[in-house]
Amino acid sequence: MSIRLQNIHAGYGKTEVLHGITFSVEEGERAAILGANGSGKTTLLRVIAGILPAQGDVLLHGQKLSEMKRRQVASQVAMMMQVSQTYFSYTVEETVLLGRYARTEGRFGKCTPEDQAAVDKALSLCGLTELKDRSVSTLSGGQLQRVFLARTMAQDTPVILLDEPTNHLDLKIQAELMGHLKEWSKEKGHTLLGVYHDINLALSMADRFIVMKEGTILYDGDEKALLEGDVLQEAYEMDVAAYMRDQYERWKTKGL
Amino acid sequence: MCLAIWQILLKLKKMQQHKYSGLPISLGVSLGVLLISYGIGSASISMGDAFRVLLHKLFGTPLPQTIQPSTVSILWSIRLPRVLMAFFVGGALSVSGAVMQSVLQNPLASSYTLGVSSGASLGAAIALAFLGSVPVLGRLSMPVFGFGFGVLTVFAVIAISSRLDRNVQSSTIILFGMVISLFVNALLTLVESLNHEYMQRILMWQMGSFSGRRWFHVQIVAPAALFGTFCLLWFHRELDILSFGDEQSMSLGVDSRKIKRILLVLASLMTGVSVCFSGTIGFVDLITPHLVRKVYGASHKRLLPLCLLYGGSFMVLADTVARTIISPREIAIGAVTALIGAPFFLWLYFRKRD
Repeated sequence: MSIRLQNIHAGYGKTEVLHGITFSVEEGERAAILGANGSGKTTLLRVIAGILPAQGDVLLHGQKLSEMKRRQVASQVAMMMQVSQTYFSYTVEETVLLGRYARTEGRFGKCTPEDQAAVDKALSLCGLTELKDRSVSTLSGGQLQRVFLARTMAQDTPVILLDEPTNHLDLKIQAELMGHLKEWSKEKGHTLLGVYHDINLALSMADRFIVMKEGTILYDGDEKALLEGDVLQEAYEMDVAAYMRDQYERWKTKGL
Repeated sequence: MCLAIWQILLKLKKMQQHKYSGLPISLGVSLGVLLISYGIGSASISMGDAFRVLLHKLFGTPLPQTIQPSTVSILWSIRLPRVLMAFFVGGALSVSGAVMQSVLQNPLASSYTLGVSSGASLGAAIALAFLGSVPVLGRLSMPVFGFGFGVLTVFAVIAISSRLDRNVQSSTIILFGMVISLFVNALLTLVESLNHEYMQRILMWQMGSFSGRRWFHVQIVAPAALFGTFCLLWFHRELDILSFGDEQSMSLGVDSRKIKRILLVLASLMTGVSVCFSGTIGFVDLITPHLVRKVYGASHKRLLPLCLLYGGSFMVLADTVARTIISPREIAIGAVTALIGAPFFLWLYFRKRD
């Protein structure tokens, strides 16, 4: 499913955060949104998910998002947000099953075999099968993040939006989980649009890179031009390449 | 008593082979509490006679001649409606409290967060102080005005929150609930200070009581509690999702702005109906959802019916204490629920932290 944004202006109250954003993402494309804090990355995802109202048009496969019902949007676009706490003691399985809401019509019946299969698959891919009966209020930040990723996967939508999906995960889990997610989205032909703080992770997850600065798009292109040019330096206001080289040298000199 | 209830709840949980078997077991517990409370009272009537009267009234079994008509009247016309009234008010407040906590994502929210109690108290005070007994309404002046003002207050909170915050966020609703409650409380103080002679009656009404409640009251509150719970249960999936916050709800497909308002109005109507006949009784609406969630989990499909049963049972037990502990005098039930509820809540909180 393709996403098209036309001259998007959005913000909070009287503060405008996005200033006339226009771009499109084609079906099955995996794109990363990069940029410094406050550049409007998360706001952009919120607009695409229909959570934040905006001026301008967001088109999902040609259809205006503003004319779609919430349930219809949720069956097309899933967004994994940054969540650090929960208030009530749902089990992991119950929480992941909520991802099927937009696809299930019944009120009091048991979940369908299709729903259960989607939940089981998501739990398994996120390494949560053993924890499925645990209360989410007893989980660590990293485990909770995996639960919300599993719920996003269970939603099984053609477009998946990820807002810093790995900030609570250790390196091993991060590598495994993102690998599974990439394979899974590739297999299903899903469009994946993610906000990543870790540039290395973004490079491993995406083929296209959108760099933002102060609510506008600074760069939209592939990996080669991103790394060769000075876009990252301009976006983060530091010499990113030099920093990465320093890190690499430290690894080399320590003999690792 | 609270520790005993908690131990019983935990044992019941262990007894359950399947998570959905909680309902029949809880139904049995509630029925037991209702029957025991019906059998206990200030009048010296044996438990056996109380059950014989009940069987006679329900199934037409013959009544022993030793039982006086006055005993039948006490049990059937005074004690049973009172016990049932306490059950349905306690249940309705607990269900309403559970919904408020989930919709506002705040475990400390209660059925009174949106100002129902302040509004209802003001309505009752106005009816008492300025209108006397309205001819058309008669004895129902206080309940009707209480209900009307309680619901009006909630509508004001929701209307102002919706106008000022496009997404009707929970923090906005809680804030305006507090602000408008304080404003309405100030009006109540004004009415009280201008009408000293009614102050004690207003205070008594606010503290809550089931004294003098008859079948007529049960006929209004019972259907409201049952129908209200069913309506809220209809939205159990939306309630589960709303518990995770507004943005997540929208991303999962719930029109949180619309559904939240429906749920808040439904829960407030249930509270309004309960409060107008019993006064503002606190703690049951806060404590029951916490207990039920701890034992049976947070899913609203189980939580709401169980809150109805355990909230009702808790209120029946509290009312039994209120009417028997210094018999023949009674103490305000609001004092009993707070005296039991506050330390129990603290114990639960620190037990979890340990």
